[in-house]
Amino acid sequence: MQISVYVALALLVLTAIGYLVGRRQAFVAAAGRPSELHSLPSYYGYYLALWTGVPALILLALYGLTGTSLVNTLAMGELEREAAPLIRAYDTQLAQDPDLSRLNDAIAQLEADAQVARSELDKARRDGGEVAAYQRSLGDLTVELNRLQGEISQVQDRIAASIAVRAPDNLAGDRARAGFEYWRATPDRRDLFLTDARALAFGEGFASRNSSALIAAGDAMRPWDEMFRWSSAGLAMAMALGGLTWMRRQITVTFRARNRLEGVVSFALFAMSGIAILTTLGIVLSLLFESIRFFAAIDWRIHEFLFGLQWSPQIAIRADQVGQTGAFGAVPLFAGTALITLVAMCVAVPVGLFAAIYLSEYASSRFRAIAKPVLEILAGVPTVVYGFFALLTVGPFIRDAAVLLGYEDAVTQSALSAGLVMGIMIIPFVSSLSDDVINAVPQSLRDGAYAMGATKSEAVRHVVLPAALPGIVGAILLAVSRAIGETMIVVMAAGQGANLTANPLESVTTITVQIVMLITGDQEFESAKTLSAFALALVLFALTLFLNIAALRVVERFRERYE
Amino acid sequence: MSKLAPIRDAVMERLPQRHRAEQRFQAYGLTAITLAVLFLTLLVGSILTQSLAAFTAHRLTLPVTLERELVDPRGDGSEASLRRGSYNAALQAALRDQFPTVHGVGELRELFGIYSAINASRLLTDVVNNPDLVGQSVDFEFPISDDADRYLKGASVSERQIDMNASLSIEIAGNVARLEAQEAVLAPFADRLRQVMADRANRYAAAAEAALASARQTIDPDEREILEAEAQRAQMRVQQLNERLRPGADFLLGPREPSLLVRAGDTIVRLTSITSGGREATGEVLLADQAWSGSVTRWSFWEIETPAATRLITDRQMVFVRLLEERGLVRNAFNALLFTNADSREPELAGVRGALIGTILTMVITIFLAVPVGVGAAIYLEEFAPRNRLTRLIEVNINNLAAVPSIVFGLLGLAVFINAFGLPRSTPLLGGMVLALMTLPTVIISSRAALKAVPPSIREAALGVGASRTQAVFHHVLPLAMPGMLTGSIIGLAQALGETAPLLMIGMVAFVADAPNFGFTGFTDPSTVMPVQIFIWSTSAERAFEARTAAAILVLLVLMVLFNAVAIYLRRKYERRW
Repeated sequence: MQISVYVALALLVLTAIGYLVGRRQAFVAAAGRPSELHSLPSYYGYYLALWTGVPALILLALYGLTGTSLVNTLAMGELEREAAPLIRAYDTQLAQDPDLSRLNDAIAQLEADAQVARSELDKARRDGGEVAAYQRSLGDLTVELNRLQGEISQVQDRIAASIAVRAPDNLAGDRARAGFEYWRATPDRRDLFLTDARALAFGEGFASRNSSALIAAGDAMRPWDEMFRWSSAGLAMAMALGGLTWMRRQITVTFRARNRLEGVVSFALFAMSGIAILTTLGIVLSLLFESIRFFAAIDWRIHEFLFGLQWSPQIAIRADQVGQTGAFGAVPLFAGTALITLVAMCVAVPVGLFAAIYLSEYASSRFRAIAKPVLEILAGVPTVVYGFFALLTVGPFIRDAAVLLGYEDAVTQSALSAGLVMGIMIIPFVSSLSDDVINAVPQSLRDGAYAMGATKSEAVRHVVLPAALPGIVGAILLAVSRAIGETMIVVMAAGQGANLTANPLESVTTITVQIVMLITGDQEFESAKTLSAFALALVLFALTLFLNIAALRVVERFRERYE
Repeated sequence: MSKLAPIRDAVMERLPQRHRAEQRFQAYGLTAITLAVLFLTLLVGSILTQSLAAFTAHRLTLPVTLERELVDPRGDGSEASLRRGSYNAALQAALRDQFPTVHGVGELRELFGIYSAINASRLLTDVVNNPDLVGQSVDFEFPISDDADRYLKGASVSERQIDMNASLSIEIAGNVARLEAQEAVLAPFADRLRQVMADRANRYAAAAEAALASARQTIDPDEREILEAEAQRAQMRVQQLNERLRPGADFLLGPREPSLLVRAGDTIVRLTSITSGGREATGEVLLADQAWSGSVTRWSFWEIETPAATRLITDRQMVFVRLLEERGLVRNAFNALLFTNADSREPELAGVRGALIGTILTMVITIFLAVPVGVGAAIYLEEFAPRNRLTRLIEVNINNLAAVPSIVFGLLGLAVFINAFGLPRSTPLLGGMVLALMTLPTVIISSRAALKAVPPSIREAALGVGASRTQAVFHHVLPLAMPGMLTGSIIGLAQALGETAPLLMIGMVAFVADAPNFGFTGFTDPSTVMPVQIFIWSTSAERAFEARTAAAILVLLVLMVLFNAVAIYLRRKYERRW
């Protein structure tokens, strides 16, 4: 880290020098008559600085991104080669061990049984026969299979331990043991091993354990690390100096420095606008990819995910129950999201719309000058603050009010409190969008209505609003999309139980709440439970995208009509 | 003419009605705005009132003797030895000095429960920094536990003290005290408590009745069973209460009733039963010399109306804390720890420093990524891009990206930055990158608007005197559009400042007890940010975190106001209209 920082600083200095050298060289090339130059002298300076700094900085950045994993791979490859005798011994032991071959045979038998049971189950399901018995037996088989696999890994661990002690008790032996341990580890154990070794060797964070093998692995990394550090630093400096001298020689009176620089600049600008596309691509691809893995994990029962009535991802941790219990039915989440959005819209649309009408049609400019910023403040308050407000002020108030009115089962975390507060949050959104739309309605329409003798409210109701309707619909669609995607208010105020209910006084859960619950829980990333968050996010993304496109279309058409 | 008359009449007839409709319509609009303003006032008002309690805290100052054998176990005064010392024992000894009569294990545990042991680590730091302190006595100031603090602030317990002037003889044997008065001084209290208990019995009876009634109505057998069990439980309670209220019986006080304490000097007794019509009583000794008996005339009642079962602080702890306060050792002062400490599991030690530093580091990354890239993209799209399908696609894409729920950006960060690129989770670097992607569309859109607002004559004039396109943009258009771009960017960044959901996805919700390094290496330290800190505290169980959450919200709101004030200032200063 330290070296890279110094090298980066040195590169910056070199770049500045490059600018000065380029400018000077331009004067030299012009032989005292700068007006002869194709471009202004500073363009030569900029161009030379570009050639000095950029390639070297790109190299450093590449090293920063890949350096660590490269060092890890090389060092561990070295150790694994040294562990080759241990690995060979381990393989022969495994092949000869009688317990293991017995266990493997048993597993093969069990898997065959499970195959049969599964096909029977499918048949029963197709024919509408008795499914439960097969499911039970399949579950039993899975339990047995897991038990046997546990035994196998125990046997393997035992053999591995007996092999590892054969290595001599010196540095070479430690290195061989490190390579052997790493070779045997599963991918996530490997990551842990590497993290710990690095922690011990370079002091990056804290190691979860400490052993001679880990220290040996860390020591094996160190020379590679040093080598890469210095070589990348040296290479970067060489590239910078090379670029500087080479480009300096290119500078002549006819050198088109400005055009070249502008070419680079416009390409860089284009690349920047490409980041937006890359972001969208990244979102779509990562959501799709992880969702596909999720659907594969639940045997492609996508219809059960979209139309199932029961959501309880906790059960699904046990291996063979995925999909069969219908635990990933997302309808309660969709219903909860819809309920809260509905409540929010019932608050935001009337208040926001009437506020916009009043501000654009009735209010004096002084009133507007005060009221508009107040609404904007409402829009600027972080959502987590709204969540806190809903949790501690609105929620208890609604519960007490409901109890007072005779509804005894009222809870603090209700759909009503979350929806109400979300509605407050969306008021400024609706009002500012509608305000724009109403202001875009041509004055001539209003004047025509007044000429017919309409009062102001009649003009608004019968002329302005119908004219602005498409725009207002677009605004409401955008507000709905906003409400669906809102997270913190519902996480804090709506509850986590997946109830399928239309009663706003009960607690419901939403798509976003479940995504947060699934991701912030402490399970492995590979489990179907975590992956289901991506499938939910895919639904959320598709839904909001559809709403946005629809809203933008509607608003665009409205604009065209009056422009 | 004659045809117009009936029309005019009809119009005139309807006119008042139409005017009333007009008035109504206008009133709706005004109501809507009033409602919005009301919501805002309510929001800010409730957070302000809730936060007040967090800005002050009760702190205890004790003379702590740093005995050499306690804090310097090896006796060589080396740092290693000093770090192994048991500083909490020193604190405990200092606290025992204040209450020399407290002995039992349970009583001591209650005594040591009025502060959290982690305070000793600050004492350790003091001693390590200044080894000369060993063997000396220092005045060590530290916050008392959140429960005690809330009690002293009157937030969790309602109580009152009544001074009495009547002869009372007290006889203490072990843990039990017997009290005897000349008159029935205890009777009024007993009667009032009786009344409270009778009310409770009536409430239970009513509840049992209601449960039975709904059990009769329901058809679901499971539900009926539950309701019946509920009724039975309530009836049992009624019976127990009635048993205790039986006329003539000794009046017993339990943890569900208010506590009645009798205090004479430093002798404090909690009554457990009142007998002989309020003349005699027995009680549990909370604080007294081992064996003491005598008669007093000036004593006081200390009635703690909140029952012991519904509060987190015990009677004895209340006595300790109150006495320490009376001795002038506890004082209420500005809670500086809220700003100088990082997060902690103990509310009295929790502060926002870690989250503030994390926020600053995260925003630095976001600003340095989102603003240049966003401005660059806007310049390209507005000034250079050919009007073709690719450009249109990028434009549509940016508009849609601006409306993608923020949580999706968090998942993008999780799937791409953490799982694919292997960036360290929970760090400001990662959080800043995710927030930058989220802010980018806003920055691009507002920067394009600013560029659009520059009149074309500027460009044309520049091109007319022979500037290249790039020169026209960078030398003439960009400087004029800069203020507008800045304002738009700041508004987008303010949004990022308050964003929580995407950061939850990338692990910034983890508990981080140390503030990240406020420097270059801090970018890869695990940390959290203000909004996430608010979320973490708001989900904590301790009541004291409520006020701290509100206080943290105030800090965040101040940050956002500052951010927006900068935007407004820039707009005012550089705004130009053509």
